[in-house]
Amino acid sequence: MTMTTQARLDGDASTIGRPTPQVNAQEKLTGRALYGGDFRTPGMLHLKVLRSPYAHARIISIDTAAASALPGVHAVLTGDDTPDRLTGVHRKQHRILATSKVRFVGEEVVAVAAIDEDTARDALDLVRVEYEPLPLVHNMDEALSPGTIEVHESTGNLSIEYKVERGDVDSAFARAALVHEATYETTSQYPGYLEPMATVAWVEGDGRLVVRASTQTAFLQRNRFAEALGLPVSAVRVIQSTVGGAFGGKTVEECNSLICAWMAYRLGRPVRFVNSRLDDFLGARSSPAERIWLKMGVDNQGLIIAKEVKILADCGAYEGLATHVLQVSLVRSDNMHRYLKDVRLHGRLAFTNHPPRGAVRGFGGPQAAFALNSHMAELAEKLGIDPVEFMRRNAVRAGDTTVHGFELGSAGLTECLDQVSEGIGWITKKARRPDTGLKRRGIGFAGAIHVSGNREMGNWDGSIVTARMTTDGRVTLSTGESDMGQGAYTMLAQCCASELAIPVSHVTVLPTDTDVSPYGHGSIASRVTILAGNAAIRAGREIRGRLLALASETLGVPEGDLTVSGGEIFATSALPNRRLTFGELARMHIYRHGGEELRVTATYDPPTFLAMSRPDQYGNVAPGYSFAAQAVEVEVDTETGQVEILETFVSDDCGKAINPLAVHGQTCGAAAMSIGWALYEEMKFQDCQLLNGNFADYTMPTAESLPNIQSGIIESLEPNGPYGAKGASETAMLPGAAAIANAVYDAVGVRIRELPITPEKILAGLREQEATAAARERRHA
Amino acid sequence: MSRVTIEVVVNGQPHRAEIPARRLLADFIRDDLFLTGTKRGCETGVCGACSVLLDGEVVKSCLSLAVQAEGHEITTVEGITSGGELHPLQASFAEHGGFQCGYCTPGMLMAAIAILNESPSPTEAEVRAGLSGNLCRCTGYVGIVESIMAAAEKMRGT
Ligand code: FES
Ligand code: FES
Repeated sequence: MTMTTQARLDGDASTIGRPTPQVNAQEKLTGRALYGGDFRTPGMLHLKVLRSPYAHARIISIDTAAASALPGVHAVLTGDDTPDRLTGVHRKQHRILATSKVRFVGEEVVAVAAIDEDTARDALDLVRVEYEPLPLVHNMDEALSPGTIEVHESTGNLSIEYKVERGDVDSAFARAALVHEATYETTSQYPGYLEPMATVAWVEGDGRLVVRASTQTAFLQRNRFAEALGLPVSAVRVIQSTVGGAFGGKTVEECNSLICAWMAYRLGRPVRFVNSRLDDFLGARSSPAERIWLKMGVDNQGLIIAKEVKILADCGAYEGLATHVLQVSLVRSDNMHRYLKDVRLHGRLAFTNHPPRGAVRGFGGPQAAFALNSHMAELAEKLGIDPVEFMRRNAVRAGDTTVHGFELGSAGLTECLDQVSEGIGWITKKARRPDTGLKRRGIGFAGAIHVSGNREMGNWDGSIVTARMTTDGRVTLSTGESDMGQGAYTMLAQCCASELAIPVSHVTVLPTDTDVSPYGHGSIASRVTILAGNAAIRAGREIRGRLLALASETLGVPEGDLTVSGGEIFATSALPNRRLTFGELARMHIYRHGGEELRVTATYDPPTFLAMSRPDQYGNVAPGYSFAAQAVEVEVDTETGQVEILETFVSDDCGKAINPLAVHGQTCGAAAMSIGWALYEEMKFQDCQLLNGNFADYTMPTAESLPNIQSGIIESLEPNGPYGAKGASETAMLPGAAAIANAVYDAVGVRIRELPITPEKILAGLREQEATAAARERRHA
Repeated sequence: MSRVTIEVVVNGQPHRAEIPARRLLADFIRDDLFLTGTKRGCETGVCGACSVLLDGEVVKSCLSLAVQAEGHEITTVEGITSGGELHPLQASFAEHGGFQCGYCTPGMLMAAIAILNESPSPTEAEVRAGLSGNLCRCTGYVGIVESIMAAAEKMRGT
């Protein structure tokens, strides 16, 4: 890298740390942005799939004759028409359409391509499939009981098992002054992005497959399509459409894009596949339901010194990314405890006939955070100390290496705790006399840790940004990472613009196109700010260095006497007329002997460790770790069991907030999503059949049902981060559920250990309380 | 399938079209007029992504038939800028974080216009109630409510 730090930069031009509107505001606000299903090409066919109505069945026969004969139908294809190799993220478990067996309600069995959606739907009605129902694996307990029928042969229904032990756990528990154990259960949350998954795919004249999809991970999709279709990677091009929200659901698990790509390739014609909302509920990967048993030991100073965790998780019919999700649930939250050295973890992931589960915002973190924070509140009560103080006493700090080897360059957990306590008025509210009326208020709080980046694939967690200066002195950036609304492109433009002291509007960030963008893993694991942000800074500096060198040579002025400002480079005071615009320099860069376009490529691969490659999962997986805390005040109606959230304050330690507008937006959105999960969002099943696959029955929070979520930012500057920044899109999803459970307990003394926190559960708890009180009275009478 | 001819004014432009009688207004707008700013998020009238204005009132175009628009004026998100200038609500959504992925945004803007038509100085609670037919998964609604409150102030000229 060219370092020309002596040259002066116009600091005022920088938007780093200033609320900055999204760079794609214009197109999104005027309805011009083209999302997955908005795009069309001439001759495009429309795809629809027939899904299995059975959770477990053998396919006996499929009769497609009547459907094929329908005018306007171009193809009616079944599993037998698909390539016979299996597909899947790690473990390859299914073909593009089901063959011989279906394993969940909603599994894709037949695909139709027709001239329009209505015709495709009509054709599906004419397909006859004969199934032979098989016994179901209803749940994860049943799955792992001996003698149960297997979802996948020779697996014993066990997808993966993790066992980790550090230190001497038994003697640590023996030393503990207080030991508490309890079991917590979480349910499966649907990602709920507003844009159902949508894809348009076609084949170019040269035979290459082009897939334009709503995706977080264009390059991983390219690899996956190539593998599934048996094509060379170079024969597949993936273009990212505008993405209407993703939340983990639009990576490499969903099958909409895969089926569409295959159909287009097979027919040699453009095909569009837009999920209906029901398609999306049935086909998307929701979060794994987990049962978490926790045992923690605390010494007489209130320090957590021993921990044992057992998790049983339900990954549904295919494992996808759920194996990694379980690893995260198991390992990550331990790293919040400063004094913990002795820990034992045991996790098992079970196949069932539920729909497959996988990556959803927080990626296993929300499940663990619910259990941990509920547990810590219970412990604090037993210890007789304030729960905030209890967490503060145990909070990791910058410079710590945690029990699983995380090296914390920055850590703002304590500051998050302080900020939310202050924000909600913790001390005052705690001191007030408990409500005794029908409606009772209570406060609760929770804290969390998350990664910014995660070295988990092929020992590379890098990010590459390519920057070109056009001959008008403006910059175009290319990246393999995706903007799905979180503001990644704005952040990249800010970083690059800041290095060049130009307005953000002079930088254009292009959506990923695997033919021209640099390789990248995409937008997962809150990795984009810390990784791509660094790459964008490096790219900006490299361009600046080249401009300065050229200006110095042309003007005959040493670089140290040059100033970069307002899209120009000029000699300082003494030589007032010596100046060159970026446009002039960009043109000079080309128009000279041996000249070339001013184009640079910069990479940042963090100094992290592939812990997943080790059975003990030890190592520093991320270049930075984000923290969050949330405090909630609820009011519980003791007659109806209704919980109303009166007030909530969320703090996100995201390091330097490059764009506070985006950070607050992420924090509030994540908090809303966690409130939904805590109180009512739940994929409901009966005999593995989804009961609530629509937005009327699967309720997500509305503007009316939420309070005005207050958010605060803690800027614990991360040494590895771009200007000190870390990830900010997932951490705030973690603490909400436990904060609410703890507040409900504070209000009415009912401890809910199973999500969601429904009125029925609260009323049952209250009745139990009354019964206990009555029994006590009888004993004393 | 029976076909009908309808005449509607969309974003100030008169249109005459022959369409199947069962054509949904959402499909007519998106697939016949190519105004893809109007979104589909649920097709069941719950999410509000497909909201448009029919003679100034918000309707969910996934629940309406195109024939019901016969003789009426429709406004979609494409029709609210004037002379290349963003509508004050659009500008406010950019400035106050009123959108992220932007998929709910066209519907939110329509709902917001209707809220402000109804009451030029709404309270926060009125704004939230007015948005109750529109889902957003990204923002937690904080930025949207702020955007509408700020735009209301601007539009009142205070
Ligand atoms: S698509 Fe019309 S309300 Fe959802
Ligand atoms: S901005 Fe994404 S759904 Fe509202």
